[in-house]
Amino acid sequence: MNFPIIRYILGWVLIVEGLLMLIPLIVGFIYSESSGLWFLYVSLLSLVLGAIMSRKKPASRDFFLREGCVTTALSWIVMSVIGCLPFCLSGEIPSFADAMFEIISGFTTTGASVLSDVESLSHSMLFWRSFSHWIGGMGVLVFLLAVIQMAGGSGMNLMRAESPGPTVGKLRPKLRQTARILYLIYLSMTVMEIILLLAGGMSLFDSLTTSFGTAGTGGFGVKNDSMMSYSPYIQWVVAIFMALFGVNFSFYYLLLMHRWKQALKMEEVRGYFVIILAAIAIIIINIGPSSAPFGELLRHSAFQVSSIITTTGFATADFNLWPETSRFTLVLLMFIGSCAGSTGGGIKVSRVIMMVKTALRELQSYVFPKSIKLIKMDGKPVEREVLHGTYVFFIAYMLIYVVSVFIVSFDGFDSVSNLTAVAATFNNIGPGLELAGPTGNFGAFSDLSKYVMMFDMLAGRLELFPMLLLFYPKCWSGMVRYRKRVK
Amino acid sequence: MKALKSDKQRGLNIVIIGCGKVGTSLVEKLSRENHDITVIDKDPEKIRSIIDSYDVIGIAGNGASFSVQMEAEVPNADILISVTQSDELNLLCCIVAKRASNCETIARVRTPDYSNEAQYLKDQLGLAMIINPEKASAKEISRILHTPTALGVSSFARGHAEMIRVNIPSSSLLPGKKLSELEDVMSGDVLVCAVERGEELFIPDGSFTLLENDIINFICPSQKSLSYLKRFGFKTSQVRDVLIVGGGRTSYYLAEELISYGIQVRIVEIDKSRCDELSSLLPKAIIINGDGTNEDVLKEARIENVDAVVSLTGIDEENIMLTLHAQGISNAKLVTKIDRIMFPEAISRLNLGSIVRPKYLTTDAIVAFVRSRSASKNSSIETLVRLFDNRGEAIEFIADSDSPVVDIPLKDLSTKDHLLIACIGRNGRTLIPSGNECIKAGDLVIIVTTHTGLRELEDILI
Repeated sequence: MNFPIIRYILGWVLIVEGLLMLIPLIVGFIYSESSGLWFLYVSLLSLVLGAIMSRKKPASRDFFLREGCVTTALSWIVMSVIGCLPFCLSGEIPSFADAMFEIISGFTTTGASVLSDVESLSHSMLFWRSFSHWIGGMGVLVFLLAVIQMAGGSGMNLMRAESPGPTVGKLRPKLRQTARILYLIYLSMTVMEIILLLAGGMSLFDSLTTSFGTAGTGGFGVKNDSMMSYSPYIQWVVAIFMALFGVNFSFYYLLLMHRWKQALKMEEVRGYFVIILAAIAIIIINIGPSSAPFGELLRHSAFQVSSIITTTGFATADFNLWPETSRFTLVLLMFIGSCAGSTGGGIKVSRVIMMVKTALRELQSYVFPKSIKLIKMDGKPVEREVLHGTYVFFIAYMLIYVVSVFIVSFDGFDSVSNLTAVAATFNNIGPGLELAGPTGNFGAFSDLSKYVMMFDMLAGRLELFPMLLLFYPKCWSGMVRYRKRVK
Repeated sequence: MKALKSDKQRGLNIVIIGCGKVGTSLVEKLSRENHDITVIDKDPEKIRSIIDSYDVIGIAGNGASFSVQMEAEVPNADILISVTQSDELNLLCCIVAKRASNCETIARVRTPDYSNEAQYLKDQLGLAMIINPEKASAKEISRILHTPTALGVSSFARGHAEMIRVNIPSSSLLPGKKLSELEDVMSGDVLVCAVERGEELFIPDGSFTLLENDIINFICPSQKSLSYLKRFGFKTSQVRDVLIVGGGRTSYYLAEELISYGIQVRIVEIDKSRCDELSSLLPKAIIINGDGTNEDVLKEARIENVDAVVSLTGIDEENIMLTLHAQGISNAKLVTKIDRIMFPEAISRLNLGSIVRPKYLTTDAIVAFVRSRSASKNSSIETLVRLFDNRGEAIEFIADSDSPVVDIPLKDLSTKDHLLIACIGRNGRTLIPSGNECIKAGDLVIIVTTHTGLRELEDILI
């Protein structure tokens, strides 16, 4: 494996993170909080480390898929370690495991918190927590690709490892342009939401943090009760924007290019909205229109559905207290997740569609055993490798899920808590049910469980294989030999 | 990985249909020159492998289909290049694209049936360029056979100047001498403009010392190339009969050209019906039906007694083996066609005589065209020849009247290092410029340099 190039890219990641940390520092200055200064120290540390690591350019530019995956996984780990330091050092989240959990939950846009009293954190820390959603939503490496030039197609291997979805397509011929367009769409939608929230009378700090949480489909709130105490207008704005950030970003690119037909033909986006509407209908019927005014019922169910399917995790109602069918509908949505190529997590709608189509094909093959049927998406046949990758993803996904739940079960909590806590972290959602419900938190779990869930969050965000590869011995087998050759 | 570079030079939107040898080679060369490239191929597997290696976008589909072209944003494209297997498909792709947008179109057309009508097709279908790798290779081989001492011959200034690539043998009087000491033999209109030594390409100045086994590239007027070779101490001879192994399209074009010069041609071809075709097309050639890799067949074709052996089968490995075999049993001039196999180091270790790579010829012609189009103002590149596996380039520009280099004595121009204004073609005459010479509007200026990627004449300035 080409270690110098991994070191070089990690160095750049640290530099970017160091620069980004200057923003919460400014917030600290505005609110004149002494804890904000920690961001200066950590930022300097990160910049110096980054500068040292990226000073020497790698001699060899060999960069294959495995380098791409390992670089991505390590980048996220390194980012989290540096990112959790302000929480730790300032003493606002004293335990390292808790601070790591919090920042990984931030970067992976999970939004699961170990804190019982969020409002006691200082403004700069709250800002960093929410800002980490925004950074992690689109990905730091995609950001790097937008600013630095990678040789040949090597950037594709980074993009493939960091972007969610069974296939990664470019929007423009050049990777750098693609990355720029993605960030441009991301940024302008975030700004739009900020403006709409400000118009609804939300304070600037709240609208910034809420928009970051929505854009990255993260879900860290700055209030203990998440979004419950805000006005219906604000809740509607957030609900709609959550749903929008869960859409495949190629859809927006096609709209920008005025390729309406192609945009509207995207099966995944259609499927995504059908699922959202169906889930809202089920929940309204299940809760019963008589229990509350219809407007309120619609708002709450739409908000919760949109929040869960996009894996954001904001809440306007304690859905833990909802009837069982509604609760289970939400759990199903947790697994389905948002569209590929969005900022959300989960299995992804496109994979679900492909798996359903495969099952239907299997049925047909029982009736007509010699029949051949190609699986198509958007009118084009799906390549065998992509289908294969989807099935393997699902199997690996289930295995990790089951093993994680098994380890977490040692803490002795009830099954619903365990099952949904792991589902909520693995799918980057945030709140689960019961103990981990929207009004609860993850503080009660043991450190071991927290580390398992941290792994799950990273694995969920990076679509399993980059994280798994770190634990695969053969991936590192070239290490010793490579060192020797360099000498 | 390079730090953020300004996009000063405009990248063009280029659509390439067909990811075969030429397509891939084009992607490789053009993606390095900051263009936005979309590739289209029927085979998703090929698309995938190209996307993995180069920064381009790919679409799987039929390039002649209107909807596929729309998906590839052909209306926004500047240039569409169609290099699929089939001539007809290439032409169709260009016609469809021409209707959908006003991009420039380039098609590969290689069947002899059409190639004789290339000009007509080009005019009627509004194509910017028709490329025919087989014909270009045949032309190149015929030039080499005309100057058999040379490893390679490239033509410039509309055929008035030639760049000869030749290996310095110990018998020559050149090794150990500085170029400035060679003034008596170098006097007149000849210039050593590039020297290949080991892995490196040098653009020499007067103090450069030549060594044994260097490969020099010198430029001179075409009709004098033989006399200069003689003056440098090379043996020169004329090729009177040629054995061509393999009867493909290149062989046909080559044989046609050689016969027109009065050279005897023998072609060995394995396929009986192809032999019949060749025999009717080339009545003056001797067509031998047999396996070119069979020693007896070659013996029967009297391989020992020909002046030149040209290996033109469709399989690179066969061509290499054939040349190695011929080298052992005859003193003939050897020409080897290699298309697919790269391994430049390994191939340079084998003594394969002159190597012709058709895909390079095609790619260079297209790259020259693309570069002219991407220059900030009207620029026109007449010829582009890559030197020593991409380590350098010889480019021929037409000087524009408002170019900043025109009418200034060359010694007053601050040109880049490792760059030589090698030759100027003016009104059908070729001159090797001295420091007092000026470039005049309309001149054909030939630049030899290790800076690859020059787009217009003023790029030679620092």
